Amino acid sequence: MTLDQDAQLVRMVNQIAANLGGGREPDEAADGVCDHLEKFWARPMKRRVIACLDEADNGLAPLARQAVEPLAERQAG
Amino acid sequence: MIEHFDPRQHGRDLGTPAPAADGAPVRLEIDGVAITVPAGTSVLRAAALADINIPKLCATDSLEAFGSCRLCAVQVEGRRGTPAACTTPVAEGMRVTTQSERLARLRRNVMELYISDHPLDCLTCPANGDCELQDMAGAVGLREVRYGFEGENHLAAESDDSNPYFSFDPSKCIVCSRCVRACEEVQGTFALTIDGRGFDSKVAAGQDQAFMDSECVSCGACVQACPTSTLMEKSVIEAGQPEHSVITTCAYCGVGCSFEAQMKGDQLVRMVPWKGGDANHGHSCVKGRFAFGYATHPDRITTPMIRESIDQPWREVGWEEAIAFAAERLRAIQAEHGRESVGGITSSRCTNEETYLVQKLIRAAFGNNNTDTCARVCHSPTGYGLKTTLGESAGTQTFDSVMQADAIIVIGANPTDAHPVFGSLMRKRLRQGASLIVADPRRIDLLKTPHLADAQHLPLRPGTNVALINALAHVVIAEGLEDQDFIAARCDTEAYRAWRDFIIEERHSPEASEAITGVPAEAVRRAARTYATAGNGAIYYGLGVTEHSQGSTMVMGIANLALATGNIGREGVGVNPLRGQNNVQGSCDMGSFPHELPGYQHVADATARGRFEAAWGVTLDDEPGLRIPNMFDAAIEGSFKALYVQGEDIAQSDPNTQHVEAALSSLECLIVQDIFLNETAKYAHVLLPGSSFLEKDGTFTNAERRINRVRRVMPPLAGKADWEVTIDLARALGYPMDYAHPSEIMDEIARLTPTFAGVSYDKLEERGSLQWPCDAEHPDGTPTMHEVDFPIGRGRFAITEYVATEERASRRFPLLLTTGRILSQYNVGAQTRRTDNQVWHDEDVLELHPSDAEVRGIRDGDWLGITSRAGQTVLRARLSERMQPGVVYTTFHHPGSGANVITTDSSDWATNCPEYKVTAVQVEKVSRPSEWQRRFDDFDRRQRQHLAQARDAALQATEVGT
Repeated sequence: MTLDQDAQLVRMVNQIAANLGGGREPDEAADGVCDHLEKFWARPMKRRVIACLDEADNGLAPLARQAVEPLAERQAG
Repeated sequence: MIEHFDPRQHGRDLGTPAPAADGAPVRLEIDGVAITVPAGTSVLRAAALADINIPKLCATDSLEAFGSCRLCAVQVEGRRGTPAACTTPVAEGMRVTTQSERLARLRRNVMELYISDHPLDCLTCPANGDCELQDMAGAVGLREVRYGFEGENHLAAESDDSNPYFSFDPSKCIVCSRCVRACEEVQGTFALTIDGRGFDSKVAAGQDQAFMDSECVSCGACVQACPTSTLMEKSVIEAGQPEHSVITTCAYCGVGCSFEAQMKGDQLVRMVPWKGGDANHGHSCVKGRFAFGYATHPDRITTPMIRESIDQPWREVGWEEAIAFAAERLRAIQAEHGRESVGGITSSRCTNEETYLVQKLIRAAFGNNNTDTCARVCHSPTGYGLKTTLGESAGTQTFDSVMQADAIIVIGANPTDAHPVFGSLMRKRLRQGASLIVADPRRIDLLKTPHLADAQHLPLRPGTNVALINALAHVVIAEGLEDQDFIAARCDTEAYRAWRDFIIEERHSPEASEAITGVPAEAVRRAARTYATAGNGAIYYGLGVTEHSQGSTMVMGIANLALATGNIGREGVGVNPLRGQNNVQGSCDMGSFPHELPGYQHVADATARGRFEAAWGVTLDDEPGLRIPNMFDAAIEGSFKALYVQGEDIAQSDPNTQHVEAALSSLECLIVQDIFLNETAKYAHVLLPGSSFLEKDGTFTNAERRINRVRRVMPPLAGKADWEVTIDLARALGYPMDYAHPSEIMDEIARLTPTFAGVSYDKLEERGSLQWPCDAEHPDGTPTMHEVDFPIGRGRFAITEYVATEERASRRFPLLLTTGRILSQYNVGAQTRRTDNQVWHDEDVLELHPSDAEVRGIRDGDWLGITSRAGQTVLRARLSERMQPGVVYTTFHHPGSGANVITTDSSDWATNCPEYKVTAVQVEKVSRPSEWQRRFDDFDRRQRQHLAQARDAALQATEVGT
């Protein structure tokens, strides 16, 4: 079940990245995705997706990964 | 033209409609009384305004003057003859006489002829006490009828009782044409006509058919318009005339019609749409006017019930025991699994005050932000998309604004079925000549509007909305049709430049996107030109926009198009989401979403949160909570254990039913508050009786941000209104809430929510209704938004990249299923299935194109198995050319249909609003119900038994006791 939940969250971040990626510079897009997660995702969901960063084959698209990394910093701060 | 509520005109019939508001003042004298009225006013109306009541029969102020009965004849100084006051406009210096010997004789003669062909059974007639013919006979002093009944007459004409709600008795008909005109002018269906000529003239439905066999949609406008008992509600025939009435607001769709609930004691005899209602101006549909019987249906739950597990029978208990049981379970679960292991769902059917209390209970007493509402599954993308681009999560106009629109785009909405009263208003405007563009996979009924000249239909493939809206915007920019002045003055320059560079790319041209959308490039170009150059362009949209994986993107795309063409900030234009349920707007406004406090104030905003913390006396979580689909996932995973659901049936309405069922079965405590044992309640441990909208005070907010009063007309069947139950639960959890009346809850909302600062029950009483924002700057509310600026300063264009949905047709699932509603049923059908509305739609069917049917050997009426990657269900086939080949359609009003067994967990990227509108499926002929349906029937039977056992046990206990 846990793996399913992780996969579901990764799928969601990738979907957000695909929608916020177009027509923007990569840094700006990553900021947008990170802001979105910060603003709309519940604490446990953020924790879970941040934890996925440590897994090698987590399935995060490049832009999604680029957004979750700063999210980890913001949440730690 | 914004028509405001005028309390002085309550319940009076002024004979003819108000003229255009800008008419020059005209002075005249009627029976020696001087009066000034706007040009275009009829003499009949001018007299009524001076409280001079000229007899009339064919005239009524909801319909244009007709001049057929001649009862309102008057004399005008300097003119010959006796003109009809209803068709005679006022003129400067005119001197009118309404009472004279000549007029009295004339009117008596007219009445005498009417009565010579009318039954004289007044004492036993259902209209006795409410008959204009009777009133007029009295008014003109009719004392004899010289003609007798020996000659030819209509007294033996047969009644038509085919409609379940009203009867048609032509023997009582005076052929005044009010019903025919109401059907044309108000409803716009044109189902009625006057058949024959002279003495043979009679009212006929359709091609002289029974009402039920005609195209009549049973809106009841004809019944309301009828001055005699010819068209009469069966409820009045049965119960007699009501003795008092209360003005309240309908609890069906997001139009939010005002009604006069006409009562006999605490029995509701009939609902009459109220002319003073600014959302509906006296019109209604078959649901609001007639389908209220569910409120007193024997299936109503009237006693609280509890059980340890869902395979046990229910046990009827008192309120106190049920609340204590629920509170103890919630506390125990939080102690064991943590503060975040519980949550709740507020209801879009309940009042603003009730919704506000449930989210307050969750945030303050549960101590987390795990609150959500059914808007999650319908209009959450509207909230996100409009807030991002325009700065406020709401539609921009009043309903009446459509009467100023020159070009109307309808995207993914079906107003004649889902928002019928607004649909009728839109049709009225279309008959006046506004252009119509419909973007929808189906050929919706709006395209069949009688006397509609030139409609454009863009039949796009499901799931390609964003590609289409980008193509429309591309044309506007590429062909130089944008409103440069508006963009320069009102929009963020940087965001516009970025968007312009994006949208001008050739890949967004109609020619490039034709392969994606399936809509011919030339049709897209024509539609864009129509919208951009018509003058006032207005966009209306529904769930066909939001319920997609790119729902939020599409909402932003719509806002981009309106901004680029300057179609924002005045009457006749705007971005208009048509809300599904009565209080979807209100439930969103009231802080139901996990990331937003009331008034769309983010939980991370320390200033806003601080105000709530101070008022509520608790510390609030600054992180968003779980949304409904996240709750389901967390429940299945095991970290989410208890849920409080008020007035929503997630087990039937949410997608991927088997996933929802698994989630609900995983909960250790499910508390359901509802008026019926709905599908969700079958998984519950605590069942708290809900109260219908007739049983409580409060407010609903409709799709035009209009806050309308809901007034109690009968006591709650179970003894408590929903807001009282939430207060009890909060108290049991150790968080007392102190309100004696919903008005006090509204006062608290006004203190904490800037956009509601000026709202109070007193103000609502005075103004009838208020459209938020209502604050110091706009003390009477805001009919049209963004007139001067946006809440975020300047409008922000958003980049709207088209991303194809993962849900696409394949070899295994070659068809696309899309879902929708039908006029007679409402959402999950819990209410309408318990009324005679069943006669119009007693089962959900699968509509498919004849060519798709032919290759599969399917005939109309065959049983079809519909399979998606989520599940399978079985429905009957209906062949229909409204569908394009490759697309199939069904409704979701009946639980056993299992429409949501097939829909998937695919959802909007920004809000997780489910993608109900696109599911890849295969269909094939089958001979028996699906496995899910057999399981459903079995579970349903068992749960009904559990309920019956509880009722039997309680009955026995009472008998033993006595």
